[in-house]
Amino acid sequence: MNLLPFVASGIGLGAVYALSSVGLVILYRASGTLNFAFGAFGGVSAFLAWELTQDGLPAPVGWIVGVAVSTAIAYAYGRFFAPRLSHRDRVVRAVATLGLALVLLGAMALYWGVGVARRLVLPTDLNFVMLFGVRMSATRLVALGVALAMVCGVGLLLNRTRIGLGMRALASDRNISATIGVRVIEIDSFAWLVNGMFAGIAGILLANINRLDPGFLTFLVIPAIAAAILGRLSSLPGAFIGGMVAGMIEALLVAVPEVASLRSAGPYVAALIFLMIVGAGQGVGARE
Amino acid sequence: MNEAVKTEAIPLVLPTKAEITPAMRAAAIVVVVGIVSGVIAMTASGYWLSNFTQAYCMTLGVLGCALLYGQLGLVSLCQWALVGVGGWISLRVYHSFHPPFLVTMLAGGAGASVIGMIWGLPALRMRGLYLALVTLMLAGAFQTLVIVTSFPVGGPGFLGQVGASGNDRIMMARPLLASSDTGYFLFVAGVTLVCIFLVEAHRRSKPGRAWALIRKHEHMAVAAGVKIVFYKAWAFALSGFLAGIAGALLAGLFGQLDASAFPPTNSIVIFIGTLLGGYEVWLGAFLGGILTRFIPALLIDLNVNTNVGFMIFGVALLFALRDPLGLGGQLTILAERLYQKLQAQRAS
Repeated sequence: MNLLPFVASGIGLGAVYALSSVGLVILYRASGTLNFAFGAFGGVSAFLAWELTQDGLPAPVGWIVGVAVSTAIAYAYGRFFAPRLSHRDRVVRAVATLGLALVLLGAMALYWGVGVARRLVLPTDLNFVMLFGVRMSATRLVALGVALAMVCGVGLLLNRTRIGLGMRALASDRNISATIGVRVIEIDSFAWLVNGMFAGIAGILLANINRLDPGFLTFLVIPAIAAAILGRLSSLPGAFIGGMVAGMIEALLVAVPEVASLRSAGPYVAALIFLMIVGAGQGVGARE
Repeated sequence: MNEAVKTEAIPLVLPTKAEITPAMRAAAIVVVVGIVSGVIAMTASGYWLSNFTQAYCMTLGVLGCALLYGQLGLVSLCQWALVGVGGWISLRVYHSFHPPFLVTMLAGGAGASVIGMIWGLPALRMRGLYLALVTLMLAGAFQTLVIVTSFPVGGPGFLGQVGASGNDRIMMARPLLASSDTGYFLFVAGVTLVCIFLVEAHRRSKPGRAWALIRKHEHMAVAAGVKIVFYKAWAFALSGFLAGIAGALLAGLFGQLDASAFPPTNSIVIFIGTLLGGYEVWLGAFLGGILTRFIPALLIDLNVNTNVGFMIFGVALLFALRDPLGLGGQLTILAERLYQKLQAQRAS
């Protein structure tokens, strides 16, 4: 069987998962918080972009406002609420973000409704490219390009800037970093800001590639976590590759008729098998 | 001599607080659950009776979740999926053999217990955040699986599905002596009471002591001769059993189960109920479970969009994390203080 067409179709989804898992890992490394509200941030961004486009505004305005709002929500949570839980263990900090996710999910479902067949249309949907003999929309390649560019940008940020140095210091040891004068709250808040930006862009792309639904976008976080686990929650390249692998697994399962309908569970099963065989290893907080 | 007199003058035994015995705690469980259930059975309309029956099923889910979090510090975000597993197995058993309801219910409990133990396997190697992630992924995977396979409705084959029209669906029967809505509610209340006692019996005996030691320090527990794997697996099995019983009771309430009713959100809501109610005492699980169903039912009754419920639960979680005692813990402390005050007054 020629699997290349399925690989081609998995590029877009893989890029979204890669973007999401990198966004999760950046925040987790710096602040020790795994953000379960990542998908909900993305949902808010996608719905705002859709709403503003429906109101007749140019699409780029919608995207910018959507990403700006998701970034602002993430920053506000990271700056004002997250520090109150900074002394609690990682699982409590992660569970708190579930509360934020539910608030945003409820607000989205209340305002925009659920169960409505909607999709966020992007201009690149009208352009097609031939890849591996498959005619696919340019959006999927754009998603891959955006994901690669953002990961490279974050790599540069971490390695070339002072705030990146602070983020790496916090990832290494929070207590020692605080002792030597690293501004923990400022850097944590910045990590939340980056997380919100990644979520906003991932949400817009997923709302285009798949569908615009509050529950679906909120639970984007589950495959993103699966992808991040494949990168052991600590490595950015690992998270990117994990995301691409998770997207490919979902796409390739379409080729197997017996399990095609279960394909969305593919990334979870892969992550569970990975954890059972390899274990959490030395991943950050693996045995906390 | 004078010294000796002085020594005798000092009371050797300080006045102790009135002791709350296990028998009194057991009586309190029976009285509280009995009175609450009795009042609901006598006053609730059909709508509220159905919702309180579901609330008691949620209580069983919360009871299992609180057992894992309170005793071992393990965050399980797949409890509602285990309710679904129990419901699926009980429906499968019912449509295959038509056994008495109690057998169907226990089969659901036993099946979910085994699945819960298997799902808990990662906890033997890791805990904390990783277990929360694993269980959330399992909840997501279960939703995908159950939407594809759906719940058995009496059709042929293992999956037991019928044609698209669905006219040939067979409803699962309730217990013979509890076929009415009120009778079934009281039956569910009775099962809930037994399950609360089951958990209390565990907490106050050897498994409870082993769990406490494991939570304190695993290496210390090993040194003390506690079989870590065995007792952790036991906790997951018991938690799964309670969820499975809840699934069977839900299947009995509606006669069938809807696949769309098992999203990961409900597992999260069960965990929120665990924190809201409090995970240290049985009353916490009882109240937490009731709240998780009562709030959405109240919103529907008041014609308020049920999505507001998600927002309420989300905010509640953010606040509940700051109060480890929860509603049940606070009320228990209040009741104990009141009792001790009354006893002190009586003694004086």
